[in-house]
Amino acid sequence: MATARITDNGAMKEEAGQEYIRRFNAGQRIEHIVLMVTFIVLAVTGLAQRYYTAGWAEGVILNLGGIEFTRLIHRAFALVFTLGAVYHFGNVFYSYFVRRRRLAMVPTLKDFGDVVGALRYTFGLAERPPQYGRYDYRQKFEYWGLIFGGLVIIATGFILAFPVTVTKVLPGQVVAAAVEFHGFEATLAVLTIVIWHLYDVIFRPGVFPADTSIFTGKISRERMLEEHTLEYAEMTTAPAGPDAGDSPAGEDPAVPDRQG
Amino acid sequence: MGLYRGSARSALARGWKVVAAGAVVVALAQVLFPVTAAAADGTLAGGACLDCHGQPGLSMTLASGETLELYIDPGVYAASVHGDKLLCTDCHTAITGFPHPQWNIPNQREYNITQYELCKRCHFDNYTKTLDSIHYAMLSAGDLRTPICTDCHGAHDVALPSQPRAKISQTCSQCHQAIYQQYVNSIHGKALIEENNYDVPVCTDCHQTHTIVDPRTASFRLESVHLCSNCHSNQKLMEKYGISSQVVKTYLNDFHGRTVALVEKETRDIWVEEAVCTDCHGIHDIQQVSSPGSPVIKSNLVATCGKCHADVNVNFPGAWLSHYEPGIDKAPLIFFVRWFYRILIPFILAGLGIHVMLDLWRRITNR
Repeated sequence: MATARITDNGAMKEEAGQEYIRRFNAGQRIEHIVLMVTFIVLAVTGLAQRYYTAGWAEGVILNLGGIEFTRLIHRAFALVFTLGAVYHFGNVFYSYFVRRRRLAMVPTLKDFGDVVGALRYTFGLAERPPQYGRYDYRQKFEYWGLIFGGLVIIATGFILAFPVTVTKVLPGQVVAAAVEFHGFEATLAVLTIVIWHLYDVIFRPGVFPADTSIFTGKISRERMLEEHTLEYAEMTTAPAGPDAGDSPAGEDPAVPDRQG
Repeated sequence: MGLYRGSARSALARGWKVVAAGAVVVALAQVLFPVTAAAADGTLAGGACLDCHGQPGLSMTLASGETLELYIDPGVYAASVHGDKLLCTDCHTAITGFPHPQWNIPNQREYNITQYELCKRCHFDNYTKTLDSIHYAMLSAGDLRTPICTDCHGAHDVALPSQPRAKISQTCSQCHQAIYQQYVNSIHGKALIEENNYDVPVCTDCHQTHTIVDPRTASFRLESVHLCSNCHSNQKLMEKYGISSQVVKTYLNDFHGRTVALVEKETRDIWVEEAVCTDCHGIHDIQQVSSPGSPVIKSNLVATCGKCHADVNVNFPGAWLSHYEPGIDKAPLIFFVRWFYRILIPFILAGLGIHVMLDLWRRITNR
């Protein structure tokens, strides 16, 4: 009964014998692609400037047509990255205050319990791993890392792009500090993505060679049941709203009214 | 013991033979090459030439109406570096007898220019170097004011060009008077003139001796950083004067230096807009950084930054750490940000790494 209703909404499809559930809408998928592309370009053009004496960095900059053009690319993509951030925050604001939806990325007490639960399971102290909702604690950690890191990067990048304007109101040392913040934060972000995100979406047994759900918008029912057990349970029991499955970033499509 | 004494004696005998043979060779050489012998008593340039050219007042009138002095002071020549080495005709190769061949010499300057290539018979390497210089380029373009060998070194009175050291810059000052005046008032020039300091650069240390290139080019601008670095990155030399030897390193770590270093790797033909050493410190008029006239003393910094950065205020120069490495006393904010991340990054990455490893281990053992 519940399964049929979701199918009516287009949230679940039958493909090659495998049942899929709609996990991300078009806006979220585009947002991820824009973030991915800008992140990679900014990381390459930025870290090459930070570690410019390294052989690879020199190769990147010279092959991009020199330092001036590398900086131009970096700033152009930084603008896109910033606009993406503005869009994201606008969307979250709209979802929360206008559409009054629950924000699924907000950390809860359960997330902290899940960390302990996952560790207990890892060491064989628990029979089963914790059951997760729409986003597990790892995904939330990464999301908030991106939010805070992104804010630091955007703010300090602005200082570096407009040092004369910034020093009209702030002391000059802020500019020098911005250089450090910007470079270190970027280094941290890139290493986090390489170690954590790429493991989670590419190398992790179960999703290897790639978790494609952020690109296709779909997740298999099997994985949904295993990795987002609680969300799936909610989906199949709660009444779906008229625009379920069409929700913007960070919110839970299955629960349209956070007061309901 | 006796054995040792015997062998020492025979060695001594062999030594005497060598000395005797050497003496014979020297004596033979004196006979075979009388030139060398003549040189020893300073009469090398004498002989037939000085019969006429040793007469004070000997001169000829050129087509231009100028008087070409033909008198050579034998004492001056003998005291020159060539005095004991060269005969008149070693340089004046066209003159083989008397009367001399008739020359149509329009004026003194053109005479000098036609004659200066005589030097290359011996000094070919240095002559070749001059062919790459801005001076030669000007000469090729027809500017007869350009210096030739004899303008800097003299003709019959050639002396060691760097004795005393201040002589080098004074030689250049014959033409580059205005720059020389800036230089002698700079920290480098003052130390040279007033203290005969051998560590400070003279003109040729930056501009080279014979391969003097045009210093107004993009490539010279890039090169200038290396010129300063040659001395200012030399820890031993800088310690002598209590100056930091980290100035180039700190410059290259900052925005300006990074850009300049990267542009240089790309091409030497781009005029790099970012500041090089001389944009802030000055070129020939470099002052001690603590001198009130220095463009980089705090009270002058806004104006100095303002040369490139329009509309800056008093806060702006603080963005540059004045070649200091951040520390608790200098730029503490930067110091703390660095350490914050140096601790945070390994901490987070280790946590993530451990988490990934544990997760992987669990998943593999689950299979």
